[in-house]
Amino acid sequence: MDFLTNLALGFSVALTPFNLLMAVCGVMLGILIGALPGVGPPSGVALLLPLTFGMDPTSGIIMLAALYAGTMYGGTITAVLINTPGESASVVTCLDGHQMALQGRAGPALGIAAIGSFIAGTVGVVLLMLVSPALARWSLSFGPPETFALMLLGLTTVTLLTGENPVKGYISMVLGLMIAMVGFDIISGDARYAFGIPEMMDGVDFLPVAIGLFGLGEVLAGAEAAKGTPIAQGRYGLRDVMPTAVDWARSRWAIVRGTVLGFAVGILPGAGPTIATFLSYTLEKKVSKRPEEFGHGAIEGVAAPESANNAAATGAMVPMLTLGIPGSATTAIMLGGLMMWGLRPGPLLFEKNPEFVWGLIASQYIANVMLLILSTAFIPLFVRALRVPYGILMPIIILFCITGAYSLKNSVWDVGQMLVFGVLGYAMKKLGYSPAALTLALVLGPLAERALRQSLIISDAGAGIFFMRPISAVLTTAALAAVLVPVVRALVAAYRRRGAARVRAL
Amino acid sequence: MRGADRIAGAGLLVLAVSFSAGALAHYAYWSPNGPGPAFLPFWLGVVMAVLALLLLVGALRSREPGEDWLPRGEGLRRLAWVLGITIVLVASLNVVGMIVGTVIFLITLMRVLDRHPWPLTLAVAFAVAGFNFLVFTRWLRVPLPVGLLGF
Repeated sequence: MDFLTNLALGFSVALTPFNLLMAVCGVMLGILIGALPGVGPPSGVALLLPLTFGMDPTSGIIMLAALYAGTMYGGTITAVLINTPGESASVVTCLDGHQMALQGRAGPALGIAAIGSFIAGTVGVVLLMLVSPALARWSLSFGPPETFALMLLGLTTVTLLTGENPVKGYISMVLGLMIAMVGFDIISGDARYAFGIPEMMDGVDFLPVAIGLFGLGEVLAGAEAAKGTPIAQGRYGLRDVMPTAVDWARSRWAIVRGTVLGFAVGILPGAGPTIATFLSYTLEKKVSKRPEEFGHGAIEGVAAPESANNAAATGAMVPMLTLGIPGSATTAIMLGGLMMWGLRPGPLLFEKNPEFVWGLIASQYIANVMLLILSTAFIPLFVRALRVPYGILMPIIILFCITGAYSLKNSVWDVGQMLVFGVLGYAMKKLGYSPAALTLALVLGPLAERALRQSLIISDAGAGIFFMRPISAVLTTAALAAVLVPVVRALVAAYRRRGAARVRAL
Repeated sequence: MRGADRIAGAGLLVLAVSFSAGALAHYAYWSPNGPGPAFLPFWLGVVMAVLALLLLVGALRSREPGEDWLPRGEGLRRLAWVLGITIVLVASLNVVGMIVGTVIFLITLMRVLDRHPWPLTLAVAFAVAGFNFLVFTRWLRVPLPVGLLGF
């Protein structure tokens, strides 16, 4: 009954008034941030991270984790009401959610999403609690080759899964790794690519980069569009958002399937909530007796992906906490935050900082309850927040970007860096590159380099070491497969085209 | 998009080659106890060069110009204003300070972009500046950039 003791410890940490307040603030802010079009979970976490510097790490991460859960739901409100996903994990929700809103059923759509999120989030935390310690114990046996192979797998899968164009995805990732090389080399002490500038000798901090790419970059992309989009009318009182018995019967199993699938996808390094929503929507459509209703307001089409993204958001915490490998852009930013607080995520975290880990896990239960209460009772409030013109919100978000970048080290240099990466983020978004892959690579870069060099030092067979140890062999092969999939796909497509051309020539 | 891909491909190729060459010129590729500080940067440059070539060749062979990626007309005007004023604010942070900067920044953007009425503009500008001051400076004790006036 080891974990019951641990959980009791966790609740004793999470239930202190201050931490409870932070969880409420996190969920509230999360729903609001998620509801703003273009400002998704990574931007929210990046912008809020500086606010938590003054707190102790446990309160800080509790707030961020609550915020993450909140943004997942906030994105849904925008998706259903104005057909613009607040963040990428709600893209699928637009399909049926907005159709329901047009049919005057926005209330039940938001209601079932809230209930599904609550069930998925709660089951997700239970799974998180059961899986993490075992995984952490197993990964204690990892040496540098396994660590490197795991990071390689995380980097290649996130790149493979985030963009439409794999070449641009890999360019983003390698660019992130190149930026990670700037600054003092931990082994030799060389100040690499610093050009004699003292600020660059310490390396490029990930926080101004993340705030620039996700905060300022998204705002600039939104700045072009002048006017807001119309909001679907409706009533959002508590009684209006309760799903009917029929809705509930149709959604029950969709929520269960979404939860299981979402958590499983979330655990995979590199595959975050967005992938989970697409997979679960496809699955529901396949198993449904009425596939023709999908896209025309089927409530399962809202329930399943909304459950899946919350379960995946919780699942993504597993590799972040136990292995130190984030499963998504958002957890990559949280990981950066942990490292700034001097906590080294990975197997030892469970042994060295139990009050931190279990406080976080317990606060996830609390955050889910808060989320259910706030999201059903306060929908009218959030709908009103959506009516604030973007022309007012945008400059305020920019100011938060500036304050956030400055507060890390009280340096205007960091603000300038944030600005540069904001422009880069805008261009990357418009041209189809992947800011998520760049951020992940920047966070993992120094750790991956150290693991790579240590592996090659202990190896007698050069790079062969990655294939000679069973765990790292499997992981490395999987990583290489992730690189090869788009190549093979492109070759097959080219071959088919040529074949078709030949047939036409005959 | 095709034009942008060509420029990006060429630019990244130059970056990749100079990154690798710079690594070999200034740092050790191999040291007595294993790979040196130039090892990974060199190979990153090589991988980036291959990727940049793929992008460049694809864009050069493509026959469709693709969509525009920069906005035109009103969209471009808004983008330029927002970015321009943000750059001015960041550049003058050490002179005007964050609190005064916030007020000027908000007033300019709200008036120029959407011509919000003056009372609303002033209310938002002072409310945000006050909130920032209270939350960051007073409550969380996160210092904000200070100007010549001392706040």
